[in-house]
Amino acid sequence: MGFMGTASERQADEGLLAGLGAGDAELAVAFVRRFQRIVFGVALAVTGDPGTAEDVAQQAFEQAWRHASLYDSRRGSVRAWLTTITHNLAIDVVRARSAVPMDPDDLPVLLAAMTESPERLAVANDSAAGLRRALTRLPVPQARAVAMSGIYGMTAKQVADSEGIPLGTAKTRIRDGMQRLRAAFLPEEAGDE
Amino acid sequence: MNELNGMTCAELADVAAELALGVLTGRERAVAIAHLDTCDACREDVRQMMGTAERLRALLPQAEPPAGFETRVLQRLGLPASVAQGGQPGQPGQPGQPGQPEPTGQNARPPQAPVRKDGPRHRRAGGDTARPGARQPGAPPAGPGARRPGRMRGVLAAAAVCLAIIGAGLGGWRAGVGSAPAASQLTEANLVSTTSQPAGKVFYYTGEPGWLYMSVDMGSGNGAVTCQVIGADGRVTTIGTFMLADGYGAWGSPNPGNLGPLTGARLVSANGTVLATGTFGRA
Repeated sequence: MGFMGTASERQADEGLLAGLGAGDAELAVAFVRRFQRIVFGVALAVTGDPGTAEDVAQQAFEQAWRHASLYDSRRGSVRAWLTTITHNLAIDVVRARSAVPMDPDDLPVLLAAMTESPERLAVANDSAAGLRRALTRLPVPQARAVAMSGIYGMTAKQVADSEGIPLGTAKTRIRDGMQRLRAAFLPEEAGDE
Repeated sequence: MNELNGMTCAELADVAAELALGVLTGRERAVAIAHLDTCDACREDVRQMMGTAERLRALLPQAEPPAGFETRVLQRLGLPASVAQGGQPGQPGQPGQPGQPEPTGQNARPPQAPVRKDGPRHRRAGGDTARPGARQPGAPPAGPGARRPGRMRGVLAAAAVCLAIIGAGLGGWRAGVGSAPAASQLTEANLVSTTSQPAGKVFYYTGEPGWLYMSVDMGSGNGAVTCQVIGADGRVTTIGTFMLADGYGAWGSPNPGNLGPLTGARLVSANGTVLATGTFGRA
């Protein structure tokens, strides 16, 4: 799932990660500088609190440092790996903090931030631009359900409770929304939607 | 249709998204995973969904961390935070050349003792492994949704071993990071095959001691290959051998620095044929 960055960028990222794992201070700084905005952004989006987000982001870099030797480039880019680590940590923190992972009123703001497509980003990453378009075109209830599960880690039951809909409807929205997003990368499936 | 423990492929399709997002719980998740264990088609379906989930998370907006963030990260890792003070805290995500921060100033607080815990994967209680569908960083995925065919697992195992060798080889160096020289530099070169095709990358670190890391992806080929480095005087020195699986492999050597300045590196087959060459300064 090497979808982000050129092969050269990905390999450079691997080199920095190897340096981080080896405990090289200079390479560690370069690694943190390269990814800190991404990591902090994920943490902040999920937790909604800058202080908590910083703690999560620090934990994420610590995890990367501990597990650098276990990184597997065939499973995805360093960026995707680090994003997954951060996302998992952030969801754990949010779940421990509250039974309700998010304020429903925050969803429109989050979705707007995820779908705005600066020209620079659209050019730099066609894959992301395609997903943004697909997310924009989702029916709002599906987009909300996908964001609740995919970003905030909410179960279908939690989505149903939060949206005041039956469990089956919540599951259908998550399923259909994700299938439509996936179709953005699998053109041959687009006609099936 | 493949059926196991009462879940059919159609039923799996209904929950594939939840499984991929890590929000499927309880018996439903267990049954789904049991189904995936024996159904390649559904496994591929979930794998694609997991890719979609990754892409979705990549859309989250970036944000500037608070000032001093990178210094605090280094302190948390027990690394000399003075290195971080050479740059601008919160500097945007695409930095200058790796390995070239400007080390200035002194760390007002002594760095913490290294806290790295080697050995079994360290997880905090309630950590991400406790989350439904969560995956351990760098470890095999929790669910078989991302399982790879047996042939590929062999490739990945080989790559993991190579990376582990790097970590082990740099163990002594890790203990001495507090005195990392400011003049050290990471350089890289593209590995190019004899048919002018991209064949990977080679990184060379000129610190004390230096190290060299080679990441190879030639598309095909199995067996032992040799890494040779080329000195400034043109002398070629063999520094190690590693395995390629399906053309892929990664390997590192912790101590090529005693060979003096290097101008390049090359990959050589077991019979002595040069497979690819990288020239530093041309990456």
